[in-house]
Amino acid sequence: MEVLQSLRYSLYLIFHPFDGFWDLKHEKKGNLKTAMLIVAMVIVTFILRRQLTGFILNENKLRELNIIVEILSVVLPFFLWCVANWCLTTLMDGEGSFKDIVITSAYALVPLVLINIPLIIFSNVITLEEAAFYTFFDILSLAWTLLLLFLGTSVVHQYSLLKTFLTSICIVIGMGLIIFIALLFFSLLQQMYSFVYTIYKEIALRL
Amino acid sequence: MRLRKILTAVIIFILLCPATAYADEPYNNYNYDFWGTPVPAPAAYLPSRIIDGRSLGTYEFRKPQDLFTGPDNKLYVADTGNNRIVVINEYWELDRIIDGFDNNGSQDTFNNPQGLFVTNDGEIYVADTSNSRIVHLDADGNLIRIIGRPVSDIIPADLQYYPTALVVDKAGRIYIIAQGVNQGLIELDNQGEFVGYVGATKVKFNMVDYFWKLIATDEQRERMQLFVPTEYNNIDIDTEGFLYVTTSSLALEDIDRAINTRSKDDRYAPIRKLNPTGTDVLRRNGYFPPVGDVYFRSRGYAESGNSQLYDVCVEDSGIYSVLDKKKGRIFTYDTDGNLLYLFGGIGNRLGNFRDPAALDTINDQFVVLDSNMGQVTVFEPTLYGQLVKEAVVLHLNGRYDESAAKWEQVLKYNANSELAYIGMGKAYLRKDEFRLAMKYFKLGNKRDYYSKAFDLYRQEVIGDNFGWIVITILVLLVGSKILKKVRARKKAGIKAMGKVEA
Repeated sequence: MEVLQSLRYSLYLIFHPFDGFWDLKHEKKGNLKTAMLIVAMVIVTFILRRQLTGFILNENKLRELNIIVEILSVVLPFFLWCVANWCLTTLMDGEGSFKDIVITSAYALVPLVLINIPLIIFSNVITLEEAAFYTFFDILSLAWTLLLLFLGTSVVHQYSLLKTFLTSICIVIGMGLIIFIALLFFSLLQQMYSFVYTIYKEIALRL
Repeated sequence: MRLRKILTAVIIFILLCPATAYADEPYNNYNYDFWGTPVPAPAAYLPSRIIDGRSLGTYEFRKPQDLFTGPDNKLYVADTGNNRIVVINEYWELDRIIDGFDNNGSQDTFNNPQGLFVTNDGEIYVADTSNSRIVHLDADGNLIRIIGRPVSDIIPADLQYYPTALVVDKAGRIYIIAQGVNQGLIELDNQGEFVGYVGATKVKFNMVDYFWKLIATDEQRERMQLFVPTEYNNIDIDTEGFLYVTTSSLALEDIDRAINTRSKDDRYAPIRKLNPTGTDVLRRNGYFPPVGDVYFRSRGYAESGNSQLYDVCVEDSGIYSVLDKKKGRIFTYDTDGNLLYLFGGIGNRLGNFRDPAALDTINDQFVVLDSNMGQVTVFEPTLYGQLVKEAVVLHLNGRYDESAAKWEQVLKYNANSELAYIGMGKAYLRKDEFRLAMKYFKLGNKRDYYSKAFDLYRQEVIGDNFGWIVITILVLLVGSKILKKVRARKKAGIKAMGKVEA
């Protein structure tokens, strides 16, 4: 019941982002459960979109669907954003906790679900000449989500718009940095593993 | 005893089972689907015979470089290393050998002739490479004229003129490819006078290169790759006078990018079709541009890297084939740039090559010259290959229904043939069977035509059910209005009741 109510609240939030995000945090209108549900819905939306978009606009190889890749392609960027956001805003006097950030960011994703699901149906009844409408709404959903992410960050940390803008750029750079360090870490780990394995092999062969 | 009986029964059973038959083709047969994945396909051409010097009753070819099908289906081979032209008749026997000609009373010979062309009258043009000249002989091998080094202000004086390939159009104009000339083809008029260069690739370099060039020192700049147009390596001419040229000097990265972006751009195209002004007019409407192999490993493996196209030949119908020197494959494209089939490979078996150098067609057959082995391999079309070709040609001639019937037969041999599905889809579209057309276009991954069929189908559905659609919309409109009124009345009622209670 609580989740349902919170979901209904998200519909209010996407049209009234300033009030919406404020109440989300201070009036406890949002909760982690709903946030996770929204992320799950985004994943489902993206999978449906990949598989069910009309043939004319869908160049995916429908026979080859990797659910894990689909899930990761949503979950990874989402948490990367949240972590980078938290890392930076704790240093820059942000007022939001990690939980706040996760909830806010998740609620900002609602337009993706809301626009893309009807768009999937729409894509099945249009021709190539009408594809411009499809592209328009596709871009609209993305732009709306990005705007909400931006405003959410601003409200949850009580930043001015300029500061939010600068922080957002830093967050994107931070995301890149995290990826870089993660790759470095894994490649080092691999090197270490192969080093230990070579030593083991050497010893095993000598003895 | 019993065991033995069972054993015998089993052995008999095994022997009775039909053994799986393997088609004995000396190369892989495949075609590329919409996503660029190689999908197995039936063989379109199979090797039938080999012709070499010994089978012709003369000594072996040495590093032959070119072959050409003349009128009367005679095959002319430029036996480069032996400085002679070998003519083979239609029964694959030796017709004659041209190893010299009478030049104003003195006997003259070829020196390293690398290319030749035979006109419809049987006149022979030989690119006499190391003698830096073109030799023009009549059908009997008598000298008509010798065309030496072209004279013009725009040809640098220090240019070593080594013509390697040439064609002559119906008006007698000569187009020559010469070593080290990257300004395009050398065009001579029918008198042998230099007209100009034609068909050079446009050179464009991107902003990144420009930036590096700006900040580089002079020494660095010198060491940088020069941005020069690509050099052509071979040429053919079709019945309408369009020139087909190939190049193998494109960078792997450029070919890769052209494939990944499904580029129709002529700048990074290894095959080009030039009109008389030298502009590329090749249609690249296939799923991938015609570049030979679409899927290949980048570097560091055997057979890695893009196809190295070394020769091209055009058939009368406009279907053209190119020869991949690196992998020994022949790729055949239709006029739209769809890959019809491919065959051949590097190896030692019949139908394989070590160093394929030239390619041409005789009737329905392909002849491929192997420079290393000094032999000509003849390929015969299979039933499948014939069907594909007939279907394409029928479609080109506007006989769509017959073409569709052929495509239907093609599908029996190869259910993976996207071209066949598209061909059938087009036929159904013409018959106004939109539903079926959509089905076939979907199987053929042809989105633009699917969209057309779908558009018509949608019109049909809406037209058929127009009454129902109008009624539904009306009912919905009226219904929602009534609902609103009812709600408003209820609210008013409740308010009124509240007032009464108060």
